[in-house]
Order: sequence, then structure tokens, then C-alpha cells
Amino acid sequence: MTQTAAPPPPNRARAWSRGVLMGPVSFIAAALVMVGSALWLPKGPAGIDNLVWPIVLFPLLWTAMFLYSCLDVRLGRAWLVALGLALSHGALIANSMMSTPA
Amino acid sequence: MIRLPQRETRTLLAVHGWSAVLLGLLLYAVIVTGVASVFTDEIADWSSPLPSQADTAWPQGIGSAIQHAAQTVDPQFHEDMIAFRQAGGRMQAFFHKHDTDPAGKPIERGVVTVIDPQSRQIIERREGTDEEIGEMNLPNALAHFIVDLHVRLHLPNPWGLLLTGILGLAMMLAAVTGFVIHRHLFKELFTLRRHKDRMLSTRDAHVIAGTWNLPFAFILAFTGSFFSFASSFGIPAMAMAAFGGDRDKVIEVLIGNPAANDPTPAPPPALDRALDDARQRAGSDPWYILSEHWGRADALQTVVMLPASGTLRNRTFLYDAAGRFMQEKPLLGSVPSSGAAVYSLMGPLHFGNFAGVLSKAAWFALGFAGAYVTFTGLLLWTTRREDQPAWRYLGRSVTGLGYGLPLALIMAAYGYFPVVRLGGDVHVMMMTAFLAGLLGALLLANLLRQLADSRRILLSLTALALIGLPWLRWIGTGVSWIDAAHGGLNAVFAIDLGLSIAGLLCLRAVRRPSPAMKRLPSAQASPAT
Repeated sequence: MTQTAAPPPPNRARAWSRGVLMGPVSFIAAALVMVGSALWLPKGPAGIDNLVWPIVLFPLLWTAMFLYSCLDVRLGRAWLVALGLALSHGALIANSMMSTPA
Repeated sequence: MIRLPQRETRTLLAVHGWSAVLLGLLLYAVIVTGVASVFTDEIADWSSPLPSQADTAWPQGIGSAIQHAAQTVDPQFHEDMIAFRQAGGRMQAFFHKHDTDPAGKPIERGVVTVIDPQSRQIIERREGTDEEIGEMNLPNALAHFIVDLHVRLHLPNPWGLLLTGILGLAMMLAAVTGFVIHRHLFKELFTLRRHKDRMLSTRDAHVIAGTWNLPFAFILAFTGSFFSFASSFGIPAMAMAAFGGDRDKVIEVLIGNPAANDPTPAPPPALDRALDDARQRAGSDPWYILSEHWGRADALQTVVMLPASGTLRNRTFLYDAAGRFMQEKPLLGSVPSSGAAVYSLMGPLHFGNFAGVLSKAAWFALGFAGAYVTFTGLLLWTTRREDQPAWRYLGRSVTGLGYGLPLALIMAAYGYFPVVRLGGDVHVMMMTAFLAGLLGALLLANLLRQLADSRRILLSLTALALIGLPWLRWIGTGVSWIDAAHGGLNAVFAIDLGLSIAGLLCLRAVRRPSPAMKRLPSAQASPAT
């Protein structure tokens, strides 16, 4: 009788971590990238490309981030990518808001 | 066929199923109302016809009629004017000034004059804020009810838009993961097994409709979530980050109209001259005309034209106060750009209004297939898990909502026409009738032991409601088919006929049991026996 190796027990903390990354973190990161990229994308001849493209592409951006967070075998790397994108664009936004008079 | 390792395939399969089920019921509501919304103009024409249908809401000389209407409006509202077509071909001109509500939110306040394009007479007049004026719009109320349900599920802004935006994202996720996990994509496009197990046939029909529908589902989800997020979240966030919170400034940059500030009084803008020129340039009818700084030397007229035959995009022309052509501009920005080009495609791709009734019919059919895929997907999912009580309850809700929502939408029309005839609060009546239909259907599906019985009863009620609606429309509007023939009211004929045929098809469906429900325990012999 052959014995097959039992699958490793599911790690609940890891599953929760991936769930949080796929759900709220991906959404917030995609939103920050959308808004922040308006500050570094080229404005184009009409001066609007940096505003329009991020808004148009937001659904695709979120889908890409969600699927990446879901599929990357290395959970730590997925967190790093999402947080890196979120923090870098968050910093850009904060800098812009502080330097723009209300 | 897309090859993926087993783990990834399993994960994507789980994402596909859960994203579809978690938001599936709400998504189904958005898709069904979206299917109806494709014909929102026709529904408005059908529900509130004028005695005769003009060839166009923009006949020669309509600009003079709007100028004449302006004389009846308090000059304080002469800041801006926007005119566009409404139900039955009525021309609505909204003279307004820009204001803020007590919370500081920008609003428009003014007077709407509704003009009969044939007689050029003012037939209706409403005064208030843009929101109040919208609520008083009885002729378009039924069409607006359906569109509001589709756009924001009748929830207050921005929450409704955010929710439908998230639903759009879920639909996009289901489309993308569906594309990846269907290992035999091309084979499944043509596989419909005649199997003894009718669940398999239903599963095949679901897969065929879903597979053919994947590109369309993706386009609708993508453009739909764009529209939901852009106004509720995208533009305010951009304003906050890049314009110090100045939302008007973002709009100003996006619209890209030339700046002007010359308050010298001048004659009213030459609307007819601008409209005539725009018609010649575009070869189509106007969509709307916006006249800024009415009665000033720096008056600017923006005429946005519907796409000409065989084209996808609207065209936008600018005119000065005297109606002289200034420039053609993109929908966004003052000069052509990639951002304006991609934005101008979003509307036609979502609304399917780029080739008249033909493209609308195609969008209707594809949307209907999308609703079918969602509904059968939910039925299949819940049926497979019928031994678990939680899924069994969800299965009942799926049946109640699946068959009850079309019935509830028809019930909203049953709330509308009595108000047209007898008066009353049209919004309360429509919502009451809609909720009565929906909650009644959910209650029925949860109370009856056999789901097949719920389906049969709901389909029968839907059939009766559909067949009776043209008669109620007749009584409500007072427009008989003879009147419609005399007045050239094509929408009245087409929709009355469509409703009657749909009713007969429902009656036919009553006689053919649903394969999926044959497997449900509640659809089998009573457990008591």
C-alpha cells in the first residue's frame, strides 16, 4: 500500500495575510497609484493625459494588482510590491498637497 | 488553451467562483437594469409620448424658441443654459446660475423650460436646483428610475456609485479569471452536449454563453467601473492631490474651453446659426448645446453632436456669441490628445449607442446573455452545494431575485402610469411597486416548498404583467394605437409589441421546467413523504 504525502496544514495567518493583501490593500494601493501617477505622467499636448489615463486605467490597475497579490507564491514579495507602490505614490501625493496652497 | 500550474488554476477557479457569487446577486441586478437602460431613450418616448413625434427634437428654428423661452426666465438665471432632448422629443432648456448648497457642495439653480419642438411652445416649466428639477421630471421618471437603479442601485451618492464600481470590478475579475481558467476555451465555444443529465446541459449553456460573452463582459465591466469611479472617486481624488481640492479647476482643465471674461452686455447668443453650422459639419443631430455667459460679449456656445452614421465619436464645436464658428475641439482638452481619444470611446462602448437601434439591439442581446450567464452561474453554484443549509437559502434567494427582478421592474411601470393619469408622487409609487414586486418574489421563493413552483408562479406573473402593460400604458398616457399610427409614434408600437411578445415567451417558458431546479431537493418530492 502506497502512502501519499499529506498536504501541509493550511496556515490561517498566511491565508488572512493574503486575503487582506488581495482585498483592501490592493484597492488602496491601486487608488494611490491612480492619483499619484497624475503627478508624474506626461501631461500631453492638451495637458490632460496625466489626469485621464490613470482614471481610465484604474479598473485594470486594480485587477492586475489583485491577481498579482493572489498568484505570487512569495507572499512577502507581494506585500513588498503593494506597499512599495502605495507608499511611493502616497509620498508623492502628500508632497503635492503640502506644496499646493488650499 | 492557457496552461497554468495546478495551484494557480485552483486559486483562480476559487476567485472566479467567489467573486461571482459574493456580489453575484447585486451584479445581476445591475446587469438586468443595464440591459433595460440600453433603450432608455425609447422607454422615455414610449412612456411619455407627445401627440405626434417630430422628425427631430432639433428642427430649424429651435434656437429662436429657446431664446424666446429665455425672456420668460428671471435674468438672474441667465448665467448658463444647457438644452437637450427629453422624452417624446421634448426640448428641455435649463437656464441656471452656479450656487452652493448649505453644505458647500456646488449646485445649479434655475428654471427649466420644456418646449414642444413642433409647435415651439413652452409646455412645461420647473424651477429649483438641478436635483429638484430632476425629481419633478415626470415624463422621464420611468426611464430615470431604471437608469438610477443601474447606475447606483438608488443609493445616495457617492455610495451607490462606489458600490456599482466595485461590482464592475468583480465582473471584470470574473471575466479575466474566466478567460484563464477555461482550459478548452475554443472547444467550449461550440460544446453543447445533449445529455440525459440536464444539469450538464445547463452547465454547457452557461459556459457557451459565458465564453462568447467574455470580451463583451470585460468591456462592459471595464467601462462601467470607470464611469462609477471617475465621478465618485477619481476626479475628487485628483482635485485633492493635484489642485488643492479645487474640483472646479479639474473640470476646467479637463473641459479645456478657452478662458474669457468680458461681462459687457450683448444680445442673446445666436443659437440657430451655431446649430445650423454644427449640423452641416457633423452630418448628424446635436446631442446638447451649452451656452455659457448668456447675454454677455464673451458668450461661448459648445455644441456636442451625436456620432454620424458609421462613426463612434461625438464631435464638439465652439461658437462665439454671434454664432460664428471658433474651433472644433475634442470632448476633453482644447487640442487632440490620447487621453481625450480614449475617453471618447468609453461612452459608446458602454452604452452601445454608436449605430442607432442596431447597435443598441446588439448591446441588449449581449447584455441579456450576460444576465443569463450570471443567473445560471448562481443557480449552478448553489445547486451543487444544496446539501449545505446556507447555500440552500442562497439558492432560494437566487430564484426569487432571478425571476423576481424583471417582474419588479415591470411593477415599477405599474406604479408610474397611474400617477401620469391621476397624479401623486411618482417616485414613491414606482419604488413601492418595485419593492412590492421584489420582496414578494423573495418571500414566495422562501415560502414555497418547491422552487420549481416559485419559478412557475413568478414567470406566470411576469407574463401577465408584460401582456397587461401596453394596455395600462394606453390608459395612462391616453395614446391609443390609432393615435400612435397618426402621430408616427414608433417607440410606442415597438415597445408595446416587444412587451407582448416577451409576455408570450414567458408563458411558453412556464411550460418548460428549469433543468437546474430539477436537481434541487426542494424541487423533488416532498421530504415528508
